[in-house]
Amino acid sequence: MTNSMTKSLVKLALVVEDSPVQCEILSKLLQEEGYKVHTANDGARGVAAYIEYQPDLVLMDINMPIMNGYEAARKIKSISQKNSLCPLIFITSLDTDQAFIESIEAGGDGILVRPFSPDVFKAKIKSIQRISDLYGELKAFQLIQQKDAQLAEQLMTEVIESRNYGLNKIGMIQKPAALFSGDIHLTALSPNGDVHAMLGDFTGHGLRASIGAIPVSETFTSMTKKGFSLLEIITQINQQLYSLLPADLFLAASFASISSYEKTVCIFNAGLPDTYIFDRHGEVKHKIKSSHPPLGVLINLLSDFSFKAVRVDLSDRVVLLSDGIIEARNVAGEMFDIQRFEQAAKRGVLQGDICDIVLNSIAEFCQDVPQKDDLSLIDIPCHGWDQAFVNDNEIARHKSLGHITPFKNNTIAAWRWQLSLTGERLSRVNPIPMAMNQIKEMEGHAQHWQNVFTILTELYINALDHGVLALDSALKNSPEGFSQYFLEREKKMKALSAGELSLHLSYFPLDIGGQLNITIKDSGQGFDIEAVRHKLSMKKSDLSQLSGRGILLVEKLCDSLIYKKKGTVVEACYLWHI
Amino acid sequence: MLFRKVVSDDNSQLVIFIEDSFDFSAHQHFRNAYGEYNEVGGTIIVNLSKTTYMDSSALGMLLLLKDHVEKNNGKLVIAKPNETVNNILEIAQFHRLMNIEK
Repeated sequence: MTNSMTKSLVKLALVVEDSPVQCEILSKLLQEEGYKVHTANDGARGVAAYIEYQPDLVLMDINMPIMNGYEAARKIKSISQKNSLCPLIFITSLDTDQAFIESIEAGGDGILVRPFSPDVFKAKIKSIQRISDLYGELKAFQLIQQKDAQLAEQLMTEVIESRNYGLNKIGMIQKPAALFSGDIHLTALSPNGDVHAMLGDFTGHGLRASIGAIPVSETFTSMTKKGFSLLEIITQINQQLYSLLPADLFLAASFASISSYEKTVCIFNAGLPDTYIFDRHGEVKHKIKSSHPPLGVLINLLSDFSFKAVRVDLSDRVVLLSDGIIEARNVAGEMFDIQRFEQAAKRGVLQGDICDIVLNSIAEFCQDVPQKDDLSLIDIPCHGWDQAFVNDNEIARHKSLGHITPFKNNTIAAWRWQLSLTGERLSRVNPIPMAMNQIKEMEGHAQHWQNVFTILTELYINALDHGVLALDSALKNSPEGFSQYFLEREKKMKALSAGELSLHLSYFPLDIGGQLNITIKDSGQGFDIEAVRHKLSMKKSDLSQLSGRGILLVEKLCDSLIYKKKGTVVEACYLWHI
Repeated sequence: MLFRKVVSDDNSQLVIFIEDSFDFSAHQHFRNAYGEYNEVGGTIIVNLSKTTYMDSSALGMLLLLKDHVEKNNGKLVIAKPNETVNNILEIAQFHRLMNIEK
């Protein structure tokens, strides 16, 4: 800043002229205009002086010994291009078209033909300086813009995306265009071991395209970590963007939630090209189309939107991509398109690296055509997301606490927490993250809260699905039934006007750990406890069954699990030691 | 990008034609094309029959236009997108937000 200020106060001019008399006259006129003047008497010295003084203006005679004006002008222009525009004016007595054309071709910005009056000369200098000043301003703006774009890109990749989860297993293509286009890649781990992924594409370019990225990544990551469902997260992000962004700015995004344990994938695609599920041979198993306008456009999500819930094999892979890949163009203007993408992805699956093969394939297709849009893709395997989940060793460790006697209900708890939800609220509110928040606020963070989260979630969902909504879990036993189950559930949730669920927690600190009693009551019809227990005991030997696994896990985690009142009340007791 | 607009004699209808690529460079032109059309209950038709490509900024511009039309209690019609452009509108599920006539 200081440099350019001082420079703009005292301007430097260079006069290259072999006649000492002309040199003197021009210098005098320039000094009257406030310039400090350097002179040179031939082209070669002119070039040397230019390099030495870096003037703001050059006046150049055409006919000179050693090196003529045209040649000197070419040399000067080739040096000055990368810095700023230094206007160069030819002074000549040759009043011919040829002289004029050659002057411009040599890089001159103007020509003055002798004889001219001092006033004409000064006017010419002023006009050329005005253009040069504008050029300087433009350059400065360009530099600011470039810095903004760099900042946006840096923010996205280094600050936001560096917090992503599971990058040793999740493949990503993140190749921003020269003009960064605001693609965002997010992954996070839910307390129940599910992985959430989001690929988003903001409208527009540069900094403008990335202002929404910070709230989106905050919401996505923190809500996932707290155990909110994908639907709740998407609803929240949509509302945030709606209130935050102007009407023409929005986020096209696809979301995936992957559960290795349940062998299911849920997809919600709002405005991106199809999201894919490939099998281990690279064949397309599912293509999930966009079913909703981009986020941030509508104040509420459309009421008839739907999640795509699919049953997967552990060897399947989920692939999210943005339109930059599909719309990459070659010299002939053709698009890379879906077919080429699917072929490349197939080869990628077979060779064990989708990102690499797809990128190479695009590079080969586009050759030297500059990349216009960000290239973005997230490739997530369906297996290997159980680590966060409890393992049997941990269960064994908890069970070894048998020697401490759990408190009974009549002992006074350190605290109790209760929440009852009725009717329509049941379909809108998820009490589990609230309960977990409560526990963490009062007792601090601890590893075993993950087990509590699992227990609460499984018991609550059971009470809601099979109690209040009266859904038959047998439906979930076949892959087709599985999707049907979710459709049915969605329908019933939307129509929910009656029913009640209550959740009760009491916490007892113990010398070497603690105890949490969980009671959940539902207003459903209940079930035949003995029959279900019998069925579950049969299932213990057959874990490939699709339903009932959740409850078996809860049973393993809990010190005791008792169903009462025809199954409408469940009491779980969880013990841990530090 | 080439713009043309036609207002009907009774001022009840404005048709905006966009040729070639409809992208962020069209921003100012597009706004100017409808900015002064404030006929209450009037119809604005965006004719895309000669539009070859549309980017997400263009989708954003259509949303701004939608706000403008709704302010005047008017009607908005997106007319005759070709296959490529229709595909872009479909991915963005814009038929859920506005009237698109093929």
